[in-house]
Amino acid sequence: MQSHQRRLIILTAILGLTVLGTTSCHKKAVPPPATPPPPATAASPTGSLTAEPSTIQAGQSATLTWTSENATNLDLEPSVGKVQPQGSTTVSPQQSTTYTLTLKGPGGENTDEARVTVTTAPPAPTAEAAPPVTEEELFEQSVKDAFFDYNRANIRPDAQAALTEDAQFFKAHPSLNFTIEGHCDERGTEEYNLGLGQRRADAAKNFLVNLGVSASRISTISYGKDRPFCTEQTRACWQENRRAHFVFGSETH
Amino acid sequence: MWSSTLISTAHEPLNVPSVPLARPPRPGGKSRGVSPSVRAMSSHQRWLSFVLSVFAVVLFNPRPGLGQGWFETGINLGQTKVRLAVPDLPPQSVNQQLVSLTQTFNKVLWDDLEFSGIVDLVSKSYYPLKIPQTPQQVDFKAWSSSPANAQMLVLGSAESVNNQMVVTAYLQDVRSPGSPAALAKRYVADLNTESARAIAHHLANDIIQLLGGGVPGINLTRIAFVSNRTGAPEIWVMDYDGHNQRPITNYHSLCTTPRWSPDDHKLAFTSYAGGNPEIYIFSLLSNRRLPFPTFRGLNTTPAWSPDGKKIAFCSSMGGNPEIYSINADGSGLEQLTFAPKVNISPVWNPKTGNEIAFVSDRSGTPQIYIMASDGTNLRRLITYGGDANAPSWSPNGLFMAYSWGVVETGTYDVYVINIATGQIVQLTHGEGRNTHPAWAPDGRHIVFTSTRSGHREIWSMLANGQDARQLTFRGSNWNANWSK
Repeated sequence: MQSHQRRLIILTAILGLTVLGTTSCHKKAVPPPATPPPPATAASPTGSLTAEPSTIQAGQSATLTWTSENATNLDLEPSVGKVQPQGSTTVSPQQSTTYTLTLKGPGGENTDEARVTVTTAPPAPTAEAAPPVTEEELFEQSVKDAFFDYNRANIRPDAQAALTEDAQFFKAHPSLNFTIEGHCDERGTEEYNLGLGQRRADAAKNFLVNLGVSASRISTISYGKDRPFCTEQTRACWQENRRAHFVFGSETH
Repeated sequence: MWSSTLISTAHEPLNVPSVPLARPPRPGGKSRGVSPSVRAMSSHQRWLSFVLSVFAVVLFNPRPGLGQGWFETGINLGQTKVRLAVPDLPPQSVNQQLVSLTQTFNKVLWDDLEFSGIVDLVSKSYYPLKIPQTPQQVDFKAWSSSPANAQMLVLGSAESVNNQMVVTAYLQDVRSPGSPAALAKRYVADLNTESARAIAHHLANDIIQLLGGGVPGINLTRIAFVSNRTGAPEIWVMDYDGHNQRPITNYHSLCTTPRWSPDDHKLAFTSYAGGNPEIYIFSLLSNRRLPFPTFRGLNTTPAWSPDGKKIAFCSSMGGNPEIYSINADGSGLEQLTFAPKVNISPVWNPKTGNEIAFVSDRSGTPQIYIMASDGTNLRRLITYGGDANAPSWSPNGLFMAYSWGVVETGTYDVYVINIATGQIVQLTHGEGRNTHPAWAPDGRHIVFTSTRSGHREIWSMLANGQDARQLTFRGSNWNANWSK
């Protein structure tokens, strides 16, 4: 123990001398655990990314449009790549996708996201009589989940659009009961996310009730981060997991 | 099955010192920074290198928590460590079963003492050749002088009597020739591994209590946790060192947030087995679920008051996740928080029982607050930004362990704050995501969840952040809670 400590001291003394010999010995402070990032000298890059329309049927395309300031390096993922400071492009995702625009410049890094929701195309008319569609199948085809920001349970504009369409569906099928599951991404602790998931489910429920859907038809349950839809550690995956998810029938008692 | 009895030694009466015995000269002090190579320098150079080495130690301190006197004292790690020699206790016969169980006993005893944080175990290669089995056989000079330089010595032997394993053990101060043994005790176990492990833990507890300022050892405590190794997340329990892992629930649903009752006979946890997240109280004595009321919405993160009479928990029964308290028999429900945001993860002040800490995102991000146990006198504990989560109140009531994360970097680490002064010590340093700390009853150890091995697993460490040990290895394991 003692010799161990002595060895450490020798080592650190040599290290200290080396620091003195090679630098002008600016006094360095130990960073406190919660140091905010140092203020950037250059203006930090800003920008915005929008998708139009934000909801398409499979096979259709949407236009992504972006603008930026103070950014020298822009990356649009997935599947687009490096792009100019301003521009637009069309995409045809096969499933709902969150596009992330990453802006880098002398002043730092920033991101913006836009989501393209893909709905299943209506079945092409065929000569044969289609089998009767059950209410549950209609539910699966029509009802859209609502997505949320990190640490937030407020209904953002894209979720308002989805829930407004959902409300119309539920009012057109008044005998149908359903459950809203609240989900969170893996960041944050399990316990806090159980609470946050409940608030997300209840926020979606309250939005529907305000649009005239009977509260007695709606169950809510939070799974926090314990039942994720996507397990990769990416922004797109985290966004997939921050949602109020609709399930046909009642899960809770 | 196992038991223990005090035995008398040649020295009557048995004298148990309440404080550590003769202390060695404190290693370190000012001479700590002066190494032989430095002595050859001029005094000016010596001073400079001393300053630089202190500077370097501060800058590159690989042992977090050291040098924080207030903290080391508060977690019972502030005393000078006793140099303890622990030769293997020899089996008294060549009976294969006894030999094997004695090996287990010796390994468990060594591991317990090594992880105690209060002794420096003398390397076995420094021991004298003759290992004594009774205090009369101790060569005091050989053990107390170089190279062993021991202060205290564990000695004894193991034998097989009437189909039982009997270990006779002594703790001897080798710096005071002729002094009575500080401990003389006989430990009796059935001839099986679990019993042999138990009496080794028991002897380690006795030694740690004697040498560690009277604080009882934790070697017979248990840790409850969540594991999905069989598929769905279930509640599991293991010994404090990770041995003997066994499932408590088998609901094939989602169970989480296990919390020991103060008498260690019950576990409260969250279960989705009935469809809705509910608080379940499970008796470990009768292996049955005990009656407890159910409420609509989310019901989770139960916390026992230190007298075991009340349970604080989070419920959204009123439309929003708020903290409630209720008597353990289900009567006397009382809402304690009223903020239309997340309020969750309550924990009682284990010393006084009159305060509750909890997590709320009423400021925008999850942060830790403290209130009186009736909901009054609310104040925010952590004033940094980021996310502060999962509070665990130290047994002496002085500290709060918690996990703190930065969204931008995705890191989560375990910290401890001095509640009275606001001083903070960082215990983990970005090796994976480190969350849900929970104190051991000795206040010297903390169990937590870490992804540093590539999976979410349970780890334990000294409460100064040193000596982290992985306890689980199968499936994902998280949200551990230490028995009392």
